[in-house]
Amino acid sequence: MNELEQLRRAMRATERPYHDDLDLTVIMRDGRRLRRRRRLAGAGTAALVSVLLVGGIGLGVRWTRPSTPDQPPGSAVTGPAAPPSATPPPTRLITPPPTVGASGREFLGAVVGTGIRYGTDERVFYVVAVDLPEAPGVTIGLMAGRRTPAGELVDDIVINDVRGTDRRPGFHEIGYDDAAPSDPRPAVPTFGYFVGPATRIVGTAGGRQVEARLARWSTDPDLVVFWFDPVDLAPGVRLDGIVARDAEGRLL
Amino acid sequence: MARGDAEFVEFARSASGRLTHAAFLMTGNHHQAEDAAQTALVRTYASWSRIRDEDAYGYARTVLVNHLVDGWRRPIREYPTDDLPEQRRGDVADEVATRRWLLDILGTLSPRERAIVVLRHYFDLPEAQVARELGVSLGTVKSTGSRALQKLRATGTPQAQGTCR
Repeated sequence: MNELEQLRRAMRATERPYHDDLDLTVIMRDGRRLRRRRRLAGAGTAALVSVLLVGGIGLGVRWTRPSTPDQPPGSAVTGPAAPPSATPPPTRLITPPPTVGASGREFLGAVVGTGIRYGTDERVFYVVAVDLPEAPGVTIGLMAGRRTPAGELVDDIVINDVRGTDRRPGFHEIGYDDAAPSDPRPAVPTFGYFVGPATRIVGTAGGRQVEARLARWSTDPDLVVFWFDPVDLAPGVRLDGIVARDAEGRLL
Repeated sequence: MARGDAEFVEFARSASGRLTHAAFLMTGNHHQAEDAAQTALVRTYASWSRIRDEDAYGYARTVLVNHLVDGWRRPIREYPTDDLPEQRRGDVADEVATRRWLLDILGTLSPRERAIVVLRHYFDLPEAQVARELGVSLGTVKSTGSRALQKLRATGTPQAQGTCR
């Protein structure tokens, strides 16, 4: 038997009865959630297309915004307000022009720049209006998108609560990128929002602690947008836990 | 339970073992492997209505490999002998030695080499398909496979290492 055959045999001989380790109930529950999110994102895109076509703009799935420089003179610059020793890099909040109402999705407040680049595009987050008849307390979602050099915003993934209210204190839905391998868009960092006086958010994955980057929403400073740099946490990797702390280091 | 769900359950039960073991071969970590297999099955279930009549296993395998490839930037921890086999199949000492030898061998390979070796020699995929699934050229698969084989020859077999009784 040569080495290659030995390797093949060894790879098969070390198989274990793994099927007992996987919880199919959890797998199917998470799969249904993922499917629902994809449909929501698809519905949002369709709504945007409708709005743009009614307006005679015809830009496909892109929502056109006036060109915005990377750091306009009037842009608000904010840091995560964490203690200096634990402060992630500052986050830029780019003040957009006045929001235009839309029957589908509506952008609310400032677009949060992350500094994460995909060629010339930048990963950004922005709050959008959502309408869930079964959850009247949920009116906003958080969109992960990309901003092109021309200032266009391209939607990727939206997350929103599906029950209760979107402003209850604490963590809300966390967005994991479960894109299909064939999806041409760049992977979305794990992201979400927290309502409360958080100045530091730390996730745990695979026994490691990962610091999130933070930015407060311009419309409601209690709403803290957070995301994990893909260098620190690969997109799609599930967090084992996540905590938020206030400026005094107290657990929220 | 819907008909599609019953089909998925059957599929998941039959495929999860190989998916998890492939992930273990690529990572050397049982916990990471189970997470990766679970992620692959979640994504497969989310697309089940579209793929169930096609190559669902191929879809799940591609999701798994790409998920692990995306994680290559993360440090991969090695647990060469973190637990013993759960079932007694043949000689336990031989199996432990084989497992140790296998993980030693795979541990000498880069993550990309590991992925190529697993796809090529565990899943028995043709080189062209390995190249497609990893998004690399056919030449890369050939040269990487050749390098991996050289390392394998340099390391020797379990018997040559004297790890078997």
